[in-house]
Amino acid sequence: MSHDRDETLVHMVNQIATNLSGGRSEAEAVEGVCSHLEKFWARAMKQRIVACLDEPDAGGLEPVARQAVAQLAERQTPKAG
Amino acid sequence: MIQHFDPSQHDKALAKDLGTPAPAADAAPVSVEIDGVEITVPEGTSVLRAAALADINIPKLCATDSLEAFGSCRLCAVQVEGRRGTPAACTTPVAEGMKVTTQNDRLARLRRNIMELYISDHPLDCLTCPANGDCELQDMAGAVGLREVRYGFEGENHLAAETDHSNPYFSFDPSKCIVCSRCVRACEEVQGTFALTIDGRGFDSTVAAGQDEAFMDSECVSCGACVQACPTSTLMEKSVIDAGQPEHSVVTTCAYCGVGCSFEAQMKGDQLVRMVPWKGGDANHGHSCVKGRFAFGYATHPDRITTPMIRDAIDQPWRPVEWDEAIAFAAKRLTAIQDEHGRESIGGITSSRCTNEETYLVQKLIRAAFGNNNTDTCARVCHSPTGYGLKTTLGESAGTQTFDSVMEADAIIVIGANPTDAHPVFGSLMRKRLRQGASLIVADPRRIDLLKTPHLADAQHLPLRPGTNVALVNALAHVVVNEGLEDHDFIAGRCDTEAYRAWRDFISEERHSPEATESVTGVPAEAVRRAARTYATAGNGAIYYGLGVTEHSQGSTMVMGIANLAMATGNIGREGVGVNPLRGQNNVQGSCDMGSFPHELPGYQHVADADARGRFEAAWGVRLDDEPGLRIPNMFDAAIEGSFKALYVQGEDIAQSDPDTQHVEAALRSLDCLIVQDIFLNETAKFAHVLLPGSSFLEKDGTFTNAERRINRVRKVMPPLAGKADWEVTVDLARALGYPMAYTHPSEIMDEIARLTPTFAGVSYDKLDEHGSLQWPCNAEHPNGTPTMHEVDFPIGRGRFAITEYVATEERASRRFPLLLTTGRILSQYNVGAQTRRTDNQVWHDEDVIEVHPSDAEVRGIQDGDWLGVSSRSGQTVLRARLSERMQPGVVYTTFHHPGSGANVITTDSSDWATNCPEYKVTAVQVEKVSQPSQWQRRFDEDDRRQREYLATAREAAS
Repeated sequence: MSHDRDETLVHMVNQIATNLSGGRSEAEAVEGVCSHLEKFWARAMKQRIVACLDEPDAGGLEPVARQAVAQLAERQTPKAG
Repeated sequence: MIQHFDPSQHDKALAKDLGTPAPAADAAPVSVEIDGVEITVPEGTSVLRAAALADINIPKLCATDSLEAFGSCRLCAVQVEGRRGTPAACTTPVAEGMKVTTQNDRLARLRRNIMELYISDHPLDCLTCPANGDCELQDMAGAVGLREVRYGFEGENHLAAETDHSNPYFSFDPSKCIVCSRCVRACEEVQGTFALTIDGRGFDSTVAAGQDEAFMDSECVSCGACVQACPTSTLMEKSVIDAGQPEHSVVTTCAYCGVGCSFEAQMKGDQLVRMVPWKGGDANHGHSCVKGRFAFGYATHPDRITTPMIRDAIDQPWRPVEWDEAIAFAAKRLTAIQDEHGRESIGGITSSRCTNEETYLVQKLIRAAFGNNNTDTCARVCHSPTGYGLKTTLGESAGTQTFDSVMEADAIIVIGANPTDAHPVFGSLMRKRLRQGASLIVADPRRIDLLKTPHLADAQHLPLRPGTNVALVNALAHVVVNEGLEDHDFIAGRCDTEAYRAWRDFISEERHSPEATESVTGVPAEAVRRAARTYATAGNGAIYYGLGVTEHSQGSTMVMGIANLAMATGNIGREGVGVNPLRGQNNVQGSCDMGSFPHELPGYQHVADADARGRFEAAWGVRLDDEPGLRIPNMFDAAIEGSFKALYVQGEDIAQSDPDTQHVEAALRSLDCLIVQDIFLNETAKFAHVLLPGSSFLEKDGTFTNAERRINRVRKVMPPLAGKADWEVTVDLARALGYPMAYTHPSEIMDEIARLTPTFAGVSYDKLDEHGSLQWPCNAEHPNGTPTMHEVDFPIGRGRFAITEYVATEERASRRFPLLLTTGRILSQYNVGAQTRRTDNQVWHDEDVIEVHPSDAEVRGIQDGDWLGVSSRSGQTVLRARLSERMQPGVVYTTFHHPGSGANVITTDSSDWATNCPEYKVTAVQVEKVSQPSQWQRRFDEDDRRQREYLATAREAAS
């Protein structure tokens, strides 16, 4: 699994989180980021970013981004089954 | 008396030249009697036009219905009962009860005398004249019965005047000129360039370009309006001089920019003689630019690919094969790759240059036959943030107005767009409105040409630093809110209250004030305040924007910021206002509408929407994936990583147009199967295993959708050079993959689109033929289409203000890369230049240069014309320097029309947070004098040479 690719994805989520955080509560921002990923990211990308949660320091995901990815993981689980 | 629209008058306006323009359609009706025939026309109609509508054709020379009446030739003299003399019919407006005589002995004598004078100074070479068969002067001489020229031809005359051949597309032969001023007026009134004038007085009057220079040395932009207006062969297309008069014509749609001009393709058999802008075109009303009007030679250029070709590896020569073999080869490879690497290991890119029908088929092929949603389109790299931003705030991924709406605008904001170069025909319309007095505000790092006109002394230019759009739009909105300039009725009646309150709290914060953001944007606070006041209080405020808005790390945020500003001031939902994205490629709106994006089915219906997906599944007879697929940059990343192995690219040149060229090249090299369908061996095709010949817009039927959501017909005027239209190739590929598609004509594809896409429900070829064009939504609610969006409500009910936090781009100037590079376009070339570089448009721009501010040049010892190495964190390229003060110090600028320039070797992977639209408009760079091309350029030249050899060898084998 390519480390570069993970870095790119982590960077992307962090960027989304930064842009969706302004003027919103943390919970709203987390929800915003999570639904953005759900709506626009490909299946493989979702799986990859969820896997990053298991890496040290969650692969560099910043707090809102990390919570959003965790939320995404929960929502994806029933689909996978 | 109840007046209603008279279709017969409308038809006549398209069928012939009525002499003077139409007055306002809603003007009061006036009845007049002309030669005993009674006719009712709107007030303000000239006697000349009224007569023409009554099929009474008064002789005329200086009058034409694209220009205001001028009254100089006097040939249209008439008599009016109760009035003295013989007034010119073109400058005489109708009056109730007026009785006009257009023919009697006195008028006949008068007209004959006028023509006699004209002809006494005109060469009598009619039989060998290029205008023979299409000459108004000749027609008028016949109409007035001129039989002799009593003055002889020996007196002082202009017959020896020399022809100016400098323009590659038309010649100017002043010996044939009758000084009717139609060309001068067309340049002023229609194009707005003011390049032509009448030099001298009386008998010495001559038409002059610029300061009496050759056309090519003047300000002339070669739009063709003067050629169109000329009643003789003074200004004449060289293609007509060469080929003679065309014998039939077909109305079709230009395949260059997103304006979508209608043209008459004038033909001799299957040979295109000239493209003439069609006055019935709803987007262009008979105007054109140098690209659409003249740069069509690429369609028959010897570089056209006419044979399918295949090869096992990209370092091998091409093997020319029959269509069947190429399609079977492609299908076999795709299937094998999917068997080995999984369903999601392949994808495709639809073309924003192809028709709606073709784009629809490619995404259908990907979703239904590939079985995944890995489809994307070039809009990814241009207007994807428009889709996201406008859908989020206004509920629909499209501009809100018609182009004509600009004629009702009182204040016009242009942000990050360059209409006179990139959307020239609309640029001319906008200039016309600006000459009528509308205010102009330009927010752009560069001083664009729109600002360069004497009519705009008080135009406002906000020269912001690249990458600070959102800070600027927030400051504008802050002024609107804090100075009480909001439209509270609109906000209360039309917008979501909670979202508005949250936004208002956010935007009111002091940190968004012009004073607080001045240090970020570089724009003086007072200038921002003045601009906000102008926009909010002028009456109708309209915003036009381009890629200078979208191609940023905050492209989507900026689009939402623009929508916020329009909603806050109530500038949505009527003529003269709105949010207007100026779309780049001819069918980029259409390619988005047709479901090219990986997350959306046609009509912007999300793949996870079970109802919508179910309709497509039922119609297409397959299960569809409910998860979005990969976007173009994601495909590249996955290709380099090894999980994405094959790509079908129709009519796009991602190797040249996409950012970070070396990354793109690495991705393309790592594919096991790249299928490129294009009219030329473009840069991407050099990495391909299968090269399928594409067809030009002249070779197929279909539709394009322009920036106004206007669906225009594209009509076939010649057979496809390689035997198949692009849609037929996709059908073949689908069949070979075991997914047969049963279409015999593109109209059937449109019928399927209409069945599955709610906003297209009312669209059909029959209806398009009947109406000329239709603007979607076109459905039961809006059977004739929707010129202005959001008049009553938004598709999402209420408009949603969005929080638009400014986040500085990570791409910022540093000690290593102290300058900011921004990229753009010029008038004569189009996008990657594959088409325009294969025409005489090359004479205007045969290389990309890097514009550097003199103060940045001075500290580096750079002179105009020096070779400059331009480096960024992505790569280095070498371009020739041009010193220019159009940008502020610290900003450099270039274009990307020539592949060897490598402009995109320098641009980076930085992209819009929401859509991954690349940040072409901001790259931190350093420039320094160098003596040789960059390493990339040397490698490019070597690869280019080798790939061309492969092609040449294959061609020889095929012939």
